[in-house]
Amino acid sequence: MANAAPVNLSADDKKRFQEEALPLLDSLYAGALRMTRNPADAEDLIQETMMRAYRAFDRFEAGTNLKAWLFRIMTNAYINTYRKKQREPLKVSSDELEEFDLYQELKHHDTAYTHSAENVVLDQLVDSDIIQALDDLPEQFRLAVILSDVQDFSYAEMAEIMDVPIGTVMSRLHRGRKALQKRLLQLAQDRGIVKTPPAGQRGNGKPMEADSQAGGSTAS
Amino acid sequence: MKEHCREILATAYLFLDGEGLSHAERIEIEAHLEECAPCLERFDLQTEVRSIVYRIGGSTPCPEALKNRIANLLEQA
Repeated sequence: MANAAPVNLSADDKKRFQEEALPLLDSLYAGALRMTRNPADAEDLIQETMMRAYRAFDRFEAGTNLKAWLFRIMTNAYINTYRKKQREPLKVSSDELEEFDLYQELKHHDTAYTHSAENVVLDQLVDSDIIQALDDLPEQFRLAVILSDVQDFSYAEMAEIMDVPIGTVMSRLHRGRKALQKRLLQLAQDRGIVKTPPAGQRGNGKPMEADSQAGGSTAS
Repeated sequence: MKEHCREILATAYLFLDGEGLSHAERIEIEAHLEECAPCLERFDLQTEVRSIVYRIGGSTPCPEALKNRIANLLEQA
């Protein structure tokens, strides 16, 4: 723990940090748990983040987003400290991802697919499947999906937190969501919720061009 | 998927993400989703997955013991 240096905050700042930052611990913990993927590391990461933030709080610009500021500190701490000991996540190729289309896959895999079938598939996945799919994402995709879809940060805030341009945020988020959906489909197949297609007919990486024959589309 | 459908769905994500869209962009998305059933279903699917991730990904609260430990550390720092 890097809490050796003395804290040089005014009594007002100390009070303000406690009043404003402590209520954000639930959000921070949820973020830390999905970043580190285990409760022990999440606890260490949260503790380190809060102590770093406390010491740096005189540099926090009042009126700006405290949650985003804390997430930036936490993301840096995670990348510098905890990333090294993480297991290597699932590898996914960009081309494969770009072509992946969950909707088309669900139709393709299940002839009984109807308008509401996607919900039936999603409803049968249990919470641990969703967590598994998130945890299996490559780190940069995982961070983007967590910050956007779990923490509801804007693209501009995410760019600050991850220290990358907005275009990079959007591309990681786009590919991260595709990778997540691909993993969810695999988990649904593993659990027998969606039929696994015969070998050689996997839709992965193939161009998806069935829309025009699928009916329902009048746009061209 | 047609290129136009792809673009519409990408823009629809901006809408889901609460990013500012122009009036013209919103009109274009709405018009397309009305006439293109696969895109409407894809949009619904995107919405559904996003809300499931939100609900489940953020569902574990910070343990009370950790909250107390941090509050104590701040007091002592």
